[in-house]
Amino acid sequence: MTETSTASGAAGTLPRQKTDSTAWLLITPGVIWMTLFLVAPILMILYVSFWTQTTFAINPTPTLESWRDFFTSQTYMNALWTTVRIWLIVLAATLLVGYPAALFIGIFVRSRILSISLLIVCVIPFWTSFLIRVLAWRPMLGREGAINILLQKFGITSAPIDALLFSELSVVIGMTQIYVVFMVGPIAFMLSRIDRNVIEAARDLGAGFGRIFTRIILPLSLPGVVVGAIFVSVMVLGEFATSAALSGRQVNLLGNIIVTQVGSLKWAFASVVGVVLTVIIGIVIAMLLRVVDLKREL
Amino acid sequence: MSVSQETETRSGADSVLRLDGIVKRYDDVVALDGVTLTVSGNEYVSLLGPSGSGKTSLLRVIAGFERPEAGRVHFRGADVTDVSPHQRGIGFVFQNFALFPHMSVLKNVTYGLVNADEGAVSAEVAERRARAMLEMVGLSGLESRGVDQISGGQKQRVALARTLVKEPQLVLLDEPLGALDANLRARMRNELRTIRKELGVTFLHVTGSESEALAMGDRVAVLDRGRVLQFGAPGTVYDAPSTPNVARFLNRYNLFAGSLHPDGGFEGPFGKVAAPRVQPADEALYGIRYDRVTVEPENTAADAPALHATFRASEYLGSSVIYFFETDAGKIVESEHHMSLGTPPEYRAGARYTLRWKPEHAIVFG
Repeated sequence: MTETSTASGAAGTLPRQKTDSTAWLLITPGVIWMTLFLVAPILMILYVSFWTQTTFAINPTPTLESWRDFFTSQTYMNALWTTVRIWLIVLAATLLVGYPAALFIGIFVRSRILSISLLIVCVIPFWTSFLIRVLAWRPMLGREGAINILLQKFGITSAPIDALLFSELSVVIGMTQIYVVFMVGPIAFMLSRIDRNVIEAARDLGAGFGRIFTRIILPLSLPGVVVGAIFVSVMVLGEFATSAALSGRQVNLLGNIIVTQVGSLKWAFASVVGVVLTVIIGIVIAMLLRVVDLKREL
Repeated sequence: MSVSQETETRSGADSVLRLDGIVKRYDDVVALDGVTLTVSGNEYVSLLGPSGSGKTSLLRVIAGFERPEAGRVHFRGADVTDVSPHQRGIGFVFQNFALFPHMSVLKNVTYGLVNADEGAVSAEVAERRARAMLEMVGLSGLESRGVDQISGGQKQRVALARTLVKEPQLVLLDEPLGALDANLRARMRNELRTIRKELGVTFLHVTGSESEALAMGDRVAVLDRGRVLQFGAPGTVYDAPSTPNVARFLNRYNLFAGSLHPDGGFEGPFGKVAAPRVQPADEALYGIRYDRVTVEPENTAADAPALHATFRASEYLGSSVIYFFETDAGKIVESEHHMSLGTPPEYRAGARYTLRWKPEHAIVFG
């Protein structure tokens, strides 16, 4: 009797121990990878940002000089505000362009196959490299570019518009085109999960499209908006290539500063900018996650 | 008794809904093939049909979610065929309830009152009316719950309250009890009837269950392949199915194939018997209700109609017992014994018996 009960007791705990050890085994490669290549580098950046930088060398004597430089320099503060401004504009633009597209794909297209095909169409630009997608805007927006030629041909403008390329506008246009798909995807996914009967029920209860949109569709798609906004924000805040290629060095983002500083071996200063950027992105994600409880919604 | 005749006698000024030759196709599939139906005010109509008979399509056409290819929908004397669903004022209770998942019970019920394009009321009025309606369907105290925190039966009531609070004259219910367990279904049957009577509105209740259709409806419409086969009181439909398919859907008739002779006799597996009640149909079929079949010890006394069969099994249903017999041709014949008639007899499995009935109880199609 005692024997059997011990045996059953052991049998009861064994599977549990096994699942525990299996769980640890499963997570180990990920933990090692993230520790070596994400956590350690970030801590290293934070550490290096307090090192002493001289023109040609860097040594680990702790100092706040790089930090002081960053926050007292007009150029760098301007870059900070430009980054925030471009981020907000691109976020709004991707939402403005992306939400209606997602609404069309997720709600108005009735065929599942067609809506998936349309999502794939959105991804087609990604079949070429990032740099080509960015550079492709030059022949579009340039002084002699496609848009200016068309505008003049149809007599809408008499002279080419110079502001199209190498300006903040061209950076916003380029970024919106590149990142809008990250907004469309999550929103279309959430919208396609809305039970059609729920929308029909709202119609049957006398609500027109406006009320159905604001009270039913929009709230139910909010998690998709938040996920899309996180994707776009993270990528835009860390951007440097689009502004480098399309702004003609007129738009300096924090990302561009990091590239320049690293290029001139100013590691400590580049680290300061990196830490500032990481903190900003962290704050943005935290704020966006406050909008909806993703754990509950997904 | 043809469908159109009965419809005409009812289509007075009190008709709430009048369907006139509704045709609905999905690509090549004809879902509704000329449905004509008139429903009066303050009545409970059940719409019985097997899956694929077009019953849900019909409700969706009436509500306005689907546009018919032909035919007109009249509601309260006006042609509403081209009116958008949100302007029709016809209530719809969905099979899966279709509650607004991000709102509380109370918000679900007030939604239609506050957000209607026409006749919206203030938030205070809406809340008062919603609370009264929730009390009526027995949900007081659950107002602030999320709709994912309540049971299936409670969701059903929220869906009902959300529709009824708008005070529609006609409520369409799409298999409203389908998602509930048997216990709850029986209780909701009674409640639906009580609530409807109290409010004096018309319910059009779609179901695939013949017992539900007969039990709930003041009148029952039987739908098959996009057509209304019969529309009448449950007793009439039950006693005198107008077509072979109605008899099939009722699931209460033993049906035998055979041939109808010009002299009025029917030739079936039981030989040639008299057929006093003949319904014109394009299929020769002999039907005898389960509870009209009596069981005797096997005997050859030639008192037609009779069938010799082997007893296979019985099923206890509470108020009655169903006995299953197998004829020599391998056909299952059922006999029902009502408990009110006394203790149910017991038969020996594998033993042979003679099944007998009165010719005047049979319904013959041909």
